[in-house]
Amino acid sequence: MNTVNNQKNAGFSGYFPTWCPGCGNFGIWAALKTAFTNLSFTPENFAVIFGIGCSGNMNDFLWADSFHALHGRAIPNAVGVKIANHKLPVVAIVGDGDCYGEGGNHLMHAARGNHDITVIVHDNRVYGLTTGQVAPTALKGFKAKSTPSGIIEVPLNPIALAITQGATFVAQGFSGDINHLVGLIEKGIKHKGFSLVNVFQPCVTFNSENSYAWYREKIYKLGEDYDSSDINNALAKSMEAETKIPLGVIYETDRSTYTDSLPQITQKSLLESLAPNLEIIAKLMDEFV
Amino acid sequence: MTDVTVKIGGEAGFGIMTTGLLMGKIATRSGYHVFEYPEYPSLIRGGHNVVDIRISDEKVYSQKQKVDVLVCLNEETLKLHKDEIKIGGMIVIDNDKTDKSIIEKIPQNVTLVPLPFGQILKDNALPNVMLNNIALGALVYLLGADFEILKTLISENFARKGEDITSKNITASQYGYDYMKDKYSAGYNKKIPKMEKAESRMYITGNEMIGLGAIAAGCKFYCAYPMTPSSVLLHYLAAKGEKVGMVVKHAEDEIAVINMALGASWAGVRSMVGTSGGGFALMVEAVSLAGITETPIVVVMGQRPGPATGMPTWTEQGDLLFVLHSGHGEFPKIILAPGDMEESYKLTLEAFNLADKYQTPVFIMGDKYLQEGHESVDRSSISSYQFSIDRGKLLTQEQLDKITDYKRYLITDDGISPRAIPGMRNSLHQANSYEHREDGHTTEEAFERKVQVDKRNKKTATFLSSDAKLPKFYGDADAQLTLISWGSMKGPILEAMKEKEGKFNLLHFSYIWPLPKVKLTEILASLKNTLLVENNSTGQLGQLISMVTGIGIKNKLLKYDGRPIYPEEIIKEVDKLL
Repeated sequence: MNTVNNQKNAGFSGYFPTWCPGCGNFGIWAALKTAFTNLSFTPENFAVIFGIGCSGNMNDFLWADSFHALHGRAIPNAVGVKIANHKLPVVAIVGDGDCYGEGGNHLMHAARGNHDITVIVHDNRVYGLTTGQVAPTALKGFKAKSTPSGIIEVPLNPIALAITQGATFVAQGFSGDINHLVGLIEKGIKHKGFSLVNVFQPCVTFNSENSYAWYREKIYKLGEDYDSSDINNALAKSMEAETKIPLGVIYETDRSTYTDSLPQITQKSLLESLAPNLEIIAKLMDEFV
Repeated sequence: MTDVTVKIGGEAGFGIMTTGLLMGKIATRSGYHVFEYPEYPSLIRGGHNVVDIRISDEKVYSQKQKVDVLVCLNEETLKLHKDEIKIGGMIVIDNDKTDKSIIEKIPQNVTLVPLPFGQILKDNALPNVMLNNIALGALVYLLGADFEILKTLISENFARKGEDITSKNITASQYGYDYMKDKYSAGYNKKIPKMEKAESRMYITGNEMIGLGAIAAGCKFYCAYPMTPSSVLLHYLAAKGEKVGMVVKHAEDEIAVINMALGASWAGVRSMVGTSGGGFALMVEAVSLAGITETPIVVVMGQRPGPATGMPTWTEQGDLLFVLHSGHGEFPKIILAPGDMEESYKLTLEAFNLADKYQTPVFIMGDKYLQEGHESVDRSSISSYQFSIDRGKLLTQEQLDKITDYKRYLITDDGISPRAIPGMRNSLHQANSYEHREDGHTTEEAFERKVQVDKRNKKTATFLSSDAKLPKFYGDADAQLTLISWGSMKGPILEAMKEKEGKFNLLHFSYIWPLPKVKLTEILASLKNTLLVENNSTGQLGQLISMVTGIGIKNKLLKYDGRPIYPEEIIKEVDKLL
């Protein structure tokens, strides 16, 4: 495999990706590296948790301290890393099946807890790595290997789900507009609290329906007059999906994060206070006498 | 020798367990050895709760079948337990509220002690929830225990609820005490007066011991989803978390539980999860993840009868082979099974060192019997235990600065690779759930795969040569019969041994896996006659021993009705073989 060294990306580039030519993942990859660079990250001062899928395969294409998780479980791994060392920025890079199917439960609960992690979801409405079955975001009627007569279920609405479950930053981007996506990722990482960035990325091999052209017809960017702090606005925007697709920061609010609510780590992170306190243990033993 | 068993029974929700706890603490503070065994159904109100408290002036290792004093807080208790009373024993019951036809069936040579709970409550305008205090006061009198200790305990117990509640509880117990003094001044024929010199003992459950062990080991993240019998461990650590600097997370499900713990552990913090069979079933994919990413994790596996929901609040040792084989794929794991309170503490400390040293999952096999029952334990045996934290090959920044080309999965002689954590300099790495090269990158190459499998498997050999412990012998080395058992069944066997001194010995396993094949085979081959004792239906340790050594154990005492094995049942089986 080739190693790409790109000065602009401050050393984030790993092996050259094995994704199909034209895959929407390339745009997300580029946007992530640029966002990390703009945030003055180095490969060793933040943590990335990858899920399993074509998106998760980025583990070998992105140089950073990383944990390649199980399918669906990157979010709880990320939450654990954050609790252990809340001074470390934590990014979870996952797919639509990974985050909205197998691990859907974790998304809801990480949003509720306002865990200060950023979840970047590759949403192509189809399963790529398992060769073309429907994803939870597939449009109703979409025909794929596991649903040859068309999917019966309606698509999951990640934006509405995240907002209603307590996420404090919810954005949507398109891998065909890297510059715009870079801004969303940066804002998501800078946001203190749970941030979700749902990124549309065409799968050129297994989904000919939701192509670059299909998205370009439907997407539009939220204007400066859009008030992302108003939850009713945000929910109305989230329900526009399928006909018009809004891109940008759809909802953003401020709420105390999970780790900020833990008195035991206000001064030091858990990682900075590993030694047991033997005096307290002696007192605890006395409580049983 | 004093040896008194008190059984207190009543409807769930009426403080039966609190009554048992206070009685056990009174005896402990009075200088006695105490063993408690609670039974309760999986519901909150209306079911039958019962607790046995065995009190002795010498060490007691388990409950026994026969009861000295049965305290019935309802009629049901009498119906269910009247035949367990010893000859010369005592039954305390509210005659006014008990059907005469049941009272008539009480065996002869048992003293019936009527205690009009209902009338006392009514006459003194006390609420129904004070019923157990009346019983406790009566019991303290009958056993000649120190009422002052009870008063102190009530004050401690209700300190948060204010003086009014405290004094009402003390008053209620005083009524019970005075009633007995007035009507049955002789009391029970065995007494437990406060000893002049009382050894400082903790009255504690296995869950709390594991919790103390985790705190002392520097565990800073405990994650769990409530499940009997490990919920009390969650409650204990949650209550102490802020004080000891531990984050305790009740996560959305057991899959999240173990994955959060693995995230925290990868980030460098000692982490533990606790559950039971059903919850552990949800965790097993991540056990495999811990295996391949080589992430330390301690799992407390509190067994209870399955399959599926089974009998949630009862006890069994039915998950040993499940844990042994948990997680898809081949990777090393270490299984420990404490036999008593002391071992619960010490093996928890050990579990964290082993997890860090071998960078692989370590299991603490408990069960309802070990984790939920109280026992008195010499405080000094715990507090004086010398122990140091060993984080294995976890690198410091200083060490990393001297390394060029750090490789997370470096091939080493012992199978263990130097470990770095995210955020350190000069240690760029990934922990990869895919098969990987030494540097952590994904591979599907045949050679690279094989060397990593061999590397991980090598940890088992390293463990066997440096940390494995042989099963421990208890009792007379020359005995004709050897009982073979593991985990919590140690207590009932040691109790049976008191009566059959010299007749049999015990070979007890608390280090369950990996097992040293050659040495174990030698030990087993040297035994004259053997009896396998397990709290399950298939003799799982026996199967494991046979798998490793090829030696089968013919005689078996297996119990799987949700109850622990009683020493009397062991003696009966031993007698058949002698």
